[in-house]
Amino acid sequence: MELGMWSSVTIVTAFSFLVIFLDGYVVKPWRERRWERRAASGDKEAAELLRIAKSAKVSEE
Amino acid sequence: MALDYDVPEDKRVLYWLGDKLIEHRLPITILVVLVTGMFAYWAFQLRLVTSFGDLLPQSHEYIKIHNRFSGSFGGANNIMIMMEVKDGTIFTPENLNKIWRMTHGLDKVYGVNHNQIDSIAHRTVRYLKVAAGGTMRAQPVMNSEVKTEDEANLIRRNVHNSENIYGLLVSLDDKAALIRANFIEGKLDYQRIFTEVNANSVDPFLDDNTEIYVAGEPRLYGWVYSYSGDVFFILVVTYCIEWILRWMYFHDWRGALRPTITGLIAAFWGMGFIYLIGLALDPLMLVMPFLITARAVSHAIQMHDRYYEEFEKSGWHKRRAIVASFGELFVPMMSGIATDAFGVLVILLVPVIMLQKLAITASWWILAITISEMLLNPVVYYYLKPPEPELVLMRDRGGFRKGINWWVARLLSRTGMVVTLVSWFLATAVSLYFVRGLTFGDPTSASPLLKLDSPYNVSHKRIQDKFGGVEPLIVVAEGYDRDAMKEPKMLRRMEEFQRVMERDESIGYSFSLTDIIRAVDMVFHELEPKWGVIPNTWVDVGSLFFIYFSGSPPTETAKYVDPSYTTAHVTFFCKDHKGDNIRRIIHRCKQFIYGSQTKDLGIKLEERDGKVVIADVDKEVQWEKAGPSWIVSEHATGETPFKAGDVVLALGKNEVTDLDSFKFAVNKQTANKTLVDWKLQRNGTVVEETIVAPWKAAFKLAGGLIGTLAAANEELITNDLMMNFLGFLSMYIIVLFTYRSFAVGFYLLAPLLLANVIINAYMALNDIGVNIHTLPLVTVGLGFGIDYGLYIISRAIEEIRIRGDLRDSLREALETSGKAVTFTAVTMIISTIFWVTSNVRFNAEMGLLLALWMAISYIASQTLIPVMIVLMKPRFITREANLAPKMVPSSTDSTER
Repeated sequence: MELGMWSSVTIVTAFSFLVIFLDGYVVKPWRERRWERRAASGDKEAAELLRIAKSAKVSEE
Repeated sequence: MALDYDVPEDKRVLYWLGDKLIEHRLPITILVVLVTGMFAYWAFQLRLVTSFGDLLPQSHEYIKIHNRFSGSFGGANNIMIMMEVKDGTIFTPENLNKIWRMTHGLDKVYGVNHNQIDSIAHRTVRYLKVAAGGTMRAQPVMNSEVKTEDEANLIRRNVHNSENIYGLLVSLDDKAALIRANFIEGKLDYQRIFTEVNANSVDPFLDDNTEIYVAGEPRLYGWVYSYSGDVFFILVVTYCIEWILRWMYFHDWRGALRPTITGLIAAFWGMGFIYLIGLALDPLMLVMPFLITARAVSHAIQMHDRYYEEFEKSGWHKRRAIVASFGELFVPMMSGIATDAFGVLVILLVPVIMLQKLAITASWWILAITISEMLLNPVVYYYLKPPEPELVLMRDRGGFRKGINWWVARLLSRTGMVVTLVSWFLATAVSLYFVRGLTFGDPTSASPLLKLDSPYNVSHKRIQDKFGGVEPLIVVAEGYDRDAMKEPKMLRRMEEFQRVMERDESIGYSFSLTDIIRAVDMVFHELEPKWGVIPNTWVDVGSLFFIYFSGSPPTETAKYVDPSYTTAHVTFFCKDHKGDNIRRIIHRCKQFIYGSQTKDLGIKLEERDGKVVIADVDKEVQWEKAGPSWIVSEHATGETPFKAGDVVLALGKNEVTDLDSFKFAVNKQTANKTLVDWKLQRNGTVVEETIVAPWKAAFKLAGGLIGTLAAANEELITNDLMMNFLGFLSMYIIVLFTYRSFAVGFYLLAPLLLANVIINAYMALNDIGVNIHTLPLVTVGLGFGIDYGLYIISRAIEEIRIRGDLRDSLREALETSGKAVTFTAVTMIISTIFWVTSNVRFNAEMGLLLALWMAISYIASQTLIPVMIVLMKPRFITREANLAPKMVPSSTDSTER
């Protein structure tokens, strides 16, 4: 199949949304669970990072 | 919250500016969106177009000649169609009718010059027919389609008896016929020509016994256009891979999106501007937009990386992180953009309109990154949700960062530094050896634009094999007076020119008026070969021309000679357009012209002690005074204006300092007039003599494809060194002002120079010549290489102010900015490397070349620059040690809301 301009735009847009979806609903929760598992299994660095991250207060301004 | 906290004193203005951009985010967003929308609209109006005239250096003497005479004697845009039969010969009714229909089909193609079609089936190709009563007339070889075998046999006999047809338009084995058409340069629509040639003259005539090959510049560009759809495949693949990589690198979809916004805005601004200034996209320049967009994306990656870092440092304050990353990266980013933009701008030096337009548009496009990256960046970050703290923390302790740290530790060790220096020394030495093979022009006979086994290159080779040479070099013989081309002496000179030049292995055959006159003379004398000569008198020559041309309208005869017989041409059909061969052919042409001029003048010149001296005077050439001027006499006079030992000082207003300047002067002075004032030094005194040039016409270089390529190659050679010098100088000046140091340019440009040598060696080894298409891409690559080093040095200066130790600061710079540089290098390389899948060989080679360039520049910035800095301890970095900027409150004005 030969790609044209609009079919290319459609593909890259759809791909971008797919990545955003995967990031929010699949990869990010998986990554968090992985670090929590590492912390639970006694990894000190992971535990410390999680502690800092959870205590961090994000300021938008 | 506004700027109500302490900021570094030396960057207070930048922090203030970053904050103001956020404060006025709404009007800025509206303005940028509106302007971008406008440019986007224009960008979508862009078309793929190649303007042939824009590819030529219009100020070059050859191109001026080409432009003056291409309308009558033929230009550079010829299409050659060869019909070849497997069994039998072309002289059957069926095959001749095919040639007839193909020729007339070609005559209907858009943009064809109807008077410049050469084919045995075209009205302009004629043979001499002796009619009853001894009268002769020239009539077309074919007047209509052939119905019987007898007619076909008659055509064969006529072709075999015509020197201007047999071997030129019909192969010597009678198996192939050539149809050649010239296209009007103002009407070149390569896509349309490609489609119409296929529909009218190729597809309907292919069968088991017939093969058709098509070559020539319009066909070549037609193929290039037909492959331009590759760009969408490459765009999709590159985009998707880059998104995945950025997503993996930043652990967040925003990290993938943000650089895309920068790239997209810059692309709309760039392409919209191209449309706005009346330029179109050239299918051979499509790698360039990818490269510039990749540059925009790589700046955005640097900024995004720094934003994450500042987000953590600022205690998870989004706005402070945005302002800090803006303030800290402003200088290296602006410096990088400026060096890229001005580095490209030096292409303006080459007097080729296409390159000049490209220089302006590429510079603008790169400068547009300032808008998308600097102006809009803080605003976009402000609107986007900040990243989660755990994401930032975990990302910075991932495998990639650990790998970078490991590498930096080894690089800055004693062994690492020795290995780095030795490796670069060896790579440079080897490259210097190979770089000598770099060619200006095309290094191979096949077109470098398409693959060797592409249908075009196969056709081109087949036609060359069958007919000897198909790429024309047109040398114009412009007479001073009408009927100059009827002078036997002039015609003999043209014939001699042909015979001399045909000895060159790259010239297949040649054609001029003399071929016609000899053929006519032979027919006039019952086909006796001994009469195939140029007659001795002006009257006899005129009579033969009358016989041949009397039945043809001036529009048909103009391709041989103008109606007043003042100007004609000698066309050499070359076997290839290799840069070296073109240079040699042009040199031989000049040598012949010079030799014939000095022979006619009866002098022999030598260079002695930096002067041009008349070494010998030919006593055979007799001169006499006609009033104040010397003219060549037909009687023995024993007089001559020249004496052996005379030093030639000047011809007219042109000073003569060496033989080259003499050649230039004599051609310049006799271009349009015969009277020339010679300034000679004789026995210590200056003597002035006015001499009438003893030739009837001046040979003028050069038209046709070979002439135009010769002009382009000469301009590239003239400007390449200057362009490189000015490119490096502009970059040096920018970094000089950025870092206020004379030495910083050395540290940033030396690795770039080495990378340049290595890339040139790669080009030489892979038969990639410097030509009008490769030059801009190579120049852009040169400028882009410096950015990596800028980020490293800026960060090292920043760190030494806090840490005080040079090595420690460099380590930190390489582990932080170096990490982002590594990633941006990967994205830059990926942006161009996928072009290797393109069907257009040129784009594939350029993609690979630029990817390689990015890689070498990156390696230099990560190895050679830090090692040089550690070993040489430059003052522009060490003077900053422990000079951490004071943290001061921002001005009251900027902090109050």
